[in-house]
Amino acid sequence: MAGADQQVSIELGHFALILAFAIASAAAVGGYLFWRSGQRIAMVLSQAAILQFVLVLVAFLALIQAFVTSDFSLLLAVNNSHSLKPLIYKISGVWGNHEGSMVLWISILVTFGAMVAAFGRRLPNDLLTLVLATQSLLTAAFAGFTIFTSNPFLRISPAPLEGNDLNPVLQDIGLAIHPPLLYAGYVGFSICFSFAIAALISGRIDQAWARWVRPWTMLSWVFLTLGIAMGSYWAYYELGWGGWWFWDPVENASFMPWLSGTALLHSALVMEKRNALKIWTVFLSIITFSLSLLGTFMVRSGILTSVHTFASDPTRGLVILTLLALVIGGAFFLFAMRASSLRQGGLFAPVSREGALILNNLFLATAVGAVLVGTLYPLLLDALVGTSISVGAPFFNLTFGALMAPLLLVLPFGPMLAWKRADIVAAAQRLMGAAALTLFVTILISALGGVSISLAPLGLLLGFWVAFGAIAELVDRSKLGRIPLGESLRRLVGLPRTAWSTAIAHFGLGVTVLGIVATTSWQTELVTTLNPGESAELSGYTVAFDSFGKQAGPNYMADEASFTITAPGGSTRQTMADRRVYVANGMPTTEAAIETYGFSQLYLQLGEPLDDTHVVRIWYKPYVTLIWLGALLMALAGVVSLTDRRVRVGAPRRAAKLAAGVAP
Amino acid sequence: MIFWLIAIAVTAIACVALFYAAGPRVVNAAAPESVAANSHFRLVLAGIDADVAAGKLGESEAEAARGELAREILRHKADADKAKPAAELGRMPLLVGLFAISALSFGLYGYLGRPDMPSAPLAERADVAVQSIDLDSAIASIEKALAAKPDDLRGWTVIAPAYLEMGRYADAANAYRKAIELGGATPDLQTSLAEALLFDSRETGSPEAMDLLRAASASDPTHVRSRLYLAAELTRQGDYPAAIAAWTDVLALSKGDETWLPAAQQGLAVAQNNGVPPAGNGVPTSGAEAEMIGQMVSGLAARLDAQGGSIAEWTQLVRAYLVLGDKDKAQAAFDSAVAAYPQAFDRGDLDTLALGAGLTIKGATP
Repeated sequence: MAGADQQVSIELGHFALILAFAIASAAAVGGYLFWRSGQRIAMVLSQAAILQFVLVLVAFLALIQAFVTSDFSLLLAVNNSHSLKPLIYKISGVWGNHEGSMVLWISILVTFGAMVAAFGRRLPNDLLTLVLATQSLLTAAFAGFTIFTSNPFLRISPAPLEGNDLNPVLQDIGLAIHPPLLYAGYVGFSICFSFAIAALISGRIDQAWARWVRPWTMLSWVFLTLGIAMGSYWAYYELGWGGWWFWDPVENASFMPWLSGTALLHSALVMEKRNALKIWTVFLSIITFSLSLLGTFMVRSGILTSVHTFASDPTRGLVILTLLALVIGGAFFLFAMRASSLRQGGLFAPVSREGALILNNLFLATAVGAVLVGTLYPLLLDALVGTSISVGAPFFNLTFGALMAPLLLVLPFGPMLAWKRADIVAAAQRLMGAAALTLFVTILISALGGVSISLAPLGLLLGFWVAFGAIAELVDRSKLGRIPLGESLRRLVGLPRTAWSTAIAHFGLGVTVLGIVATTSWQTELVTTLNPGESAELSGYTVAFDSFGKQAGPNYMADEASFTITAPGGSTRQTMADRRVYVANGMPTTEAAIETYGFSQLYLQLGEPLDDTHVVRIWYKPYVTLIWLGALLMALAGVVSLTDRRVRVGAPRRAAKLAAGVAP
Repeated sequence: MIFWLIAIAVTAIACVALFYAAGPRVVNAAAPESVAANSHFRLVLAGIDADVAAGKLGESEAEAARGELAREILRHKADADKAKPAAELGRMPLLVGLFAISALSFGLYGYLGRPDMPSAPLAERADVAVQSIDLDSAIASIEKALAAKPDDLRGWTVIAPAYLEMGRYADAANAYRKAIELGGATPDLQTSLAEALLFDSRETGSPEAMDLLRAASASDPTHVRSRLYLAAELTRQGDYPAAIAAWTDVLALSKGDETWLPAAQQGLAVAQNNGVPPAGNGVPTSGAEAEMIGQMVSGLAARLDAQGGSIAEWTQLVRAYLVLGDKDKAQAAFDSAVAAYPQAFDRGDLDTLALGAGLTIKGATP
């Protein structure tokens, strides 16, 4: 069996992708034509969604198999693999290029579709049919795009004896994880999009709908958060200049869906709880997935020049742009036609939890707008007028910072406010403790650090405020200090998971803000020339250059420098920084040495070799890891929320049992 | 073939799965809408009760919330009643869809796919295996066969050129000797043996090889290869009169378009010049080609004399004269160049070229 099917695995993969495309096309057409026909069409579309998943998985595995066995009769493997490459990079090489990453994209799309089919049996038939039809339409569109303009299954005969290897910058463990996470986030929002389209077509949208949408939003948001954090950390340690965010258009492309996804998350919450903000939720669902598509377009079309644009081809860009215009344009047309038919739900006063969440949505939406303008304006200007301008970090830091500061300032109030109508004074009183603590800590740190007049204390203030405000909510809800400790701890444990989730997420945001402020304000840098035996000092750390040598890796030659770092406390560590030249294409990369001390890091990079000495760059980055730890906390908060009973409850029987149990 | 079988099987399974998903066998797996909705509403109600129990919701607020929930339930019921059940999906559209799926898949794959191309994992590829068999092991296996069967003429004739290629001249000579022994002498084999002997002896020369070459050329009056080796070896040994005769002999066999012709002409010229390569370094000194070169050079000279030119052009002219062996004209051109570019700095490489070739600088600022 193995011998026989291995011989045709590539072609079978190709056939499977085409069959999946055919099934998806038929399912989309059938679903839209017969969505009122009840259960049978819903069952057929569920089956079709599962078949699409299996078939695309076969195609994806066929590609992986070809890369792992170094099958150079596959053009994609010739262009992106090499027989000497370590196994993990052979596998990750499948999606380290345009065609393969499209297959990954589709794989995730059909995975989500199959999940809806598998777990969605209790959805109303028409809603399930419309959701799966929309999902199939997306699969058909992107599978068609892949098959016709970027087919990963093209063959070459006679097969070359060796491949051209993979861009060495991308040959990293980060690449194995970053794109799948990011894509899972992007593509997961397709479910929200499909639900929104289904709601608009059927004209039915209620709390049950929101109860369905929220976990998908949460899941995608968790993936996207992790993907962005991962990408940021990858850029930080691999690109070799120690920056963690560049406002690179591709980073913005992933950040915009995150911002609007965050807004969607909060909006769906209101809808689920209070049956309000329906139009907001539908609108944000469409916007978020549109921004995900825009991100795909921006990376794939080649209109951007950055590390991410490993494939650029104007024709593909045009096709993706057309797809984008059809999907987004169609969705907004539908929205314009049908949004008025969605009945508005519960009313609320301006000062209320709902009001706070609307404020949050407005700020986030404006931030999306600012980032969108900053990202697209130079591209449009270049395309229309031919003038090339560059919108740099200062623009983003200023506009984005200006929008985020007030949001962070009011953020701790949100969870303190009651639904429908709230008392802002009472909420403020409950936050007094957090405010006092924030002021105290900020002043203490500023005094100890000898901070000059700058924005840093303001940033610290905001970061601590958000973090302490999140804790304050837990303290308040557990009545800590007002009732006996044991009782209060019992209440704390008994709090709904969503309350914990809110607190953890907001605390994580505060942690990230603190990391950003600390790193940008107190980072120190030293660029110097060193020879083995010499040493340099930065922020109390002594870096001794021990030795220098050449080392052969599996598919590269490396200049290796080993250092001994002596921390202010006297402890020493050995570390190693590399400059690598990859054999197949002669491209150099640097591998920085990064040592973590507490939350801070010392970042060493071996620069260009000079005649008889070495350039060494050293950065001391205080509390830099908080940036990613905060993001991890936010993702953790999402996971906690996903385990909440409202999500876990699937079957009516269990629900009834729980309802009985919850009643006093 | 196996591919098509699998492809048809996969398509058939997919179609059957889709067909039966709509089939009557599927018992009502989806709960009626009302059940899902009811469970949701019951949950919301329980949530309100829990909030009241926890003291988060006042009794009046809870009453309002329950009222709102009741209105929501009524609206939902009204919606559900309004939605008229549409006709069930018929069998016909389903069959049309399944046919379209199969037709689209096979049509598209037939257009894009390469069913004739099997996978080719690197480890299993025949061409890689062939490439990796090195010459050494091939020769070793032939040697083994020859040791067992020393009168295999084909084996010796195959292995001899391989030895020669690898630089194992003595072994090559031995192999050719065996081949001659077994199959009789031919001019080609004799010449090849002589070639191996000459390579093996290097500087010292080989009288046996000379005899073989003479024998080969004697046995075949039109054998070129033996005559070329003979003439070249005579030239190398310094026997110029004999070499001139040999070169003339081989040149007489030429029809005018052989690849060895320039080498033979050069050899003759060397022999005629008592072993020193004549000035001109292989540049033809007579014939149509030489005439053409001469015309080009004199054309360049005339243009530079009349209109002047860049230092690169002057350098080209001087070099051309030097290559043609015309030192006087080279000196004259150099003088003109120096006059045109009196600064040594401007002349760049020209001075190096000229002084290296023995020309002199006159009347220029150093």
